[in-house]
Amino acid sequence: MANTGIVIETENGQVKETSLGVMAAAGSEVVALVLGADPAPFKETLAAHGAAQIITLSATGGDVAQNPDLAALALAAAAKEFNLTALLGTASAPGKDLFARLAADLDHPLVSDCIRVDVGEKVGVKSHFSGKTFAKIKVSADLFLATVRPNAIEPAELAGAGELGSFEADAATDGSLKILEIKADAGGKMDLTEAPVIVTGGRAIGSADNYAVLQACADKLGAAVGASRAAVDAGYADHSMQVGQTGKTVSPRLYIACGVSGAVQHFAGMKTSKVIVAVNEDKDAPIFAKCDYGIVGDLFEVIPKLTEKL
Amino acid sequence: MREKGRFMENYVVMKSVIMALALVGAFGYFAKQTGRLYRIMMAVEGDAPKAVDRLGERIQVLFTDVLGQRNVRRKLGPGLAHTLIFFGFLAIQPHSLELMIQGVIPAFHPGWLVPGLYKGYLFAADILGTFVLVGFAAALYRRLVVRPDYLTLGRDANLIILFTTVIVVTFRWINAFMAALPGNGFSYAGVFPVSGMIAGLLGLESWSPQAIRVGYETGYWIHMVTILGFLVYIPSSKHLHLLAAAPNVFFKRLDTEKAMVKTDIEDEEAETFGLGKASEFTWHQVLNLYACTECGRCQELCPAASTGKPLSPKELIHALKVDLLDQSETILAGETDGVEPLMRENGPVTEDILWACTSCRACENICPVSNEHLDFVLEMRKHQVLMEAAFPPEMQETFTNMENQGNPWGFAADTRADWAKGMDVPLMAEKPDAKVLWFVGCAGSFDDRGKKISQATARVLNRAGVDFAILGPEEACNGDMARRSGNEYLGQMMIQQNVETINQYKPELILTGCPHCFNTLKNEYPEFGADYEVVHYTEYFNTLIQDGRLKVTASDLGKLTFHDSCYLGRWNDIYEAPRQILDSVNTGERCETDRHHDQGFCCGAGGGRMFMEETIGDRINNQRALQVAETGAETVAAACPFCITMLNDGLVEAGSKMAVKDIAEIIDEATA
Repeated sequence: MANTGIVIETENGQVKETSLGVMAAAGSEVVALVLGADPAPFKETLAAHGAAQIITLSATGGDVAQNPDLAALALAAAAKEFNLTALLGTASAPGKDLFARLAADLDHPLVSDCIRVDVGEKVGVKSHFSGKTFAKIKVSADLFLATVRPNAIEPAELAGAGELGSFEADAATDGSLKILEIKADAGGKMDLTEAPVIVTGGRAIGSADNYAVLQACADKLGAAVGASRAAVDAGYADHSMQVGQTGKTVSPRLYIACGVSGAVQHFAGMKTSKVIVAVNEDKDAPIFAKCDYGIVGDLFEVIPKLTEKL
Repeated sequence: MREKGRFMENYVVMKSVIMALALVGAFGYFAKQTGRLYRIMMAVEGDAPKAVDRLGERIQVLFTDVLGQRNVRRKLGPGLAHTLIFFGFLAIQPHSLELMIQGVIPAFHPGWLVPGLYKGYLFAADILGTFVLVGFAAALYRRLVVRPDYLTLGRDANLIILFTTVIVVTFRWINAFMAALPGNGFSYAGVFPVSGMIAGLLGLESWSPQAIRVGYETGYWIHMVTILGFLVYIPSSKHLHLLAAAPNVFFKRLDTEKAMVKTDIEDEEAETFGLGKASEFTWHQVLNLYACTECGRCQELCPAASTGKPLSPKELIHALKVDLLDQSETILAGETDGVEPLMRENGPVTEDILWACTSCRACENICPVSNEHLDFVLEMRKHQVLMEAAFPPEMQETFTNMENQGNPWGFAADTRADWAKGMDVPLMAEKPDAKVLWFVGCAGSFDDRGKKISQATARVLNRAGVDFAILGPEEACNGDMARRSGNEYLGQMMIQQNVETINQYKPELILTGCPHCFNTLKNEYPEFGADYEVVHYTEYFNTLIQDGRLKVTASDLGKLTFHDSCYLGRWNDIYEAPRQILDSVNTGERCETDRHHDQGFCCGAGGGRMFMEETIGDRINNQRALQVAETGAETVAAACPFCITMLNDGLVEAGSKMAVKDIAEIIDEATA
């Protein structure tokens, strides 16, 4: 019987949806490992998605939430403590960082960025050549380490006991990695590459302030707000919001492109979105040839109506 | 009288001794300095051929480019000034040399041998030497009043003008007094037309012989001190170009077309790739650095420098020269391990400088001494990518896409021919004997606008009855963007793949849509084993139209202008074919933008810049769009899918309604 641990990522006091997806990938009866934070506020959510146990992980050597070296050591100890046969995380920026350290510490193979996993068989499925071929990678080690691509698997409702617990690992780092300072990012916005839904505004948005229209809609949808290169160049949006060839490559479940022409440089960055909806005044815009649903109309009329309905 | 006579005897002896010492000292120091520069040039390790090919053409180049000053005069005003200075200064040299020798051996007179000829020479030199002053006046006016910002306005240049002015003025002075001196077997009387006038103005006839002698000797010493000082100063100043420009031009690239350096990436012995430090320059590059005179013409035309980027080709060359000389001790000692990398903290080149280049080649094209700036930039990028993995982060995605799917956007490679669905466009795989292999390119296959241009091209080819086929899924990116972004490995991988594919079919002709494909296939593929006749569609269609094989209906398309693509124009000298096409289909007016033909302004997409962010200064394409919009034309035509995208974006940004059309689309409409 597989004994699976999941590293839970949280944000703004909530479990990230991507972590719930990882739980769904593993099936029921998993051990949810929360780094440092008090798990009580997450109990309900985690239990509803299949967590048998919810464990707060800490270490004698310091704060595991901030030091990835220490977190890796603590996770390795927890894997032993809970007799885990599989340990999964998200292929997010922190997940990629943490699991690489963990794999190195344990000298174990790691299957990263999987789109599916089978914890029983210890198999990770990876996408190659932009999804044209799939590689199934089977691991023979005692402990199956894998990270799952954000949004690759939808969260699923699975009942779990959600028993709270804690584990303090007797671990300390060699001090080669020191945290000097932690800078908070500007404003609690969702990371585009992990967002399940993205609402993007192009040049037609007209001003930085007008993004509020999209933000209102995004808040209702639990979505992140993106921008096209033209909008970023015009100074309407920050470069961190740019989707496209020279910005972020995203693959949300739903992508709503508002006032985006859909030039190849933009399309290249979002073409793997599951469903694409376009809103544009120009019925000849290339985006209409690529979207699943197209609305010819002014985004300032269409989007507020959508927000209202939601 | 006897006192004076003895004084003169003593003076002459003393002058001989001092001049002999001064000449030995100055020429000796000069030889030591230049010898050292030569040894540096021979000590660098970069690989460049040393054998001289096409000798006849190179000698011809010395006449056109050096004596003829052809390239220098491409900027007319300063060019004419330079020509005057060049010839005047050259003309006075034999006479200066004569004066030097006379200082040591007073009885020396070359004129005894062929007096007529020598007098003729002095007559000409006296006139030419005067024009130098006109040239200097123009140069000073430019440096002190006009002060163009591309020009390095420093002490160095002003000092040189001061030096040379003194040399030329004292030359006049010496000649004037020389003619008035009692002759000792060779009379200078009447051979100096200009100096003779000075003599007249000074009223030298009425001066005593002693006074004339004193005047002469005074001028002589000032002249000698300055000219020998100048000789000592040259090798360490920008006026090193006096020595290096002629050989640099002699060894220049004789053809416009050029290939990027093919790096042997399979070489297991190689410790490094590309250009990482000063000791890895080639001898020819070192000569380039010596030859630069900081005229700034490259900076004036550079699209990066013109839009507020930190790159200036002039400053780059200068910084590399300074770095080379700073590290020359280590290089001469053969301790290349101790040579600091070019890309280092506070080093000569920064990331922002290196990646700002669009490889448009305006700098190389205008350089009066034929320097090849891009060979530095592209080889340094190669080093950064292959050795340091240091490149703009946004390029990672593009590289990965090219590697996986053979196109920069990562569209599935098997959908490459989808644009042609429902059209009469065969694949080479179905029609291996097709005479013309049309290499469509990534933009023509995947970009929405590019696809429309490809469809237009296909219709025209069919109308002209051309026996053609495309590669479709067998085609990969031509490699230009990868190579020019420094990813030589990836570039060669795609080139190799295409070469093998093309060689299976052995077409009679390869037709290309995108000028980048054109340039790489034509000029770089032969080195990889695919040597075919390659033609860009503008030339091909123009020939068909001019031969009457493609019937076009001319109509009034309104006022048109044409944007030169760098890779058609400056890289391959194709300027007229697209213009002739426009003139044969349009009865309306065709106008030029301010920057056209070999001085065309890049759209900003070359050198891999299409796939990099442009965050410093103005966007190049916006500035180009403004230049294009200024013509007041209704349509701007271009012949490159990247130029089309960049112009489109720029014109939208500028709020212009001007239409952007590809030449293929215009022909399609005229043959429909």
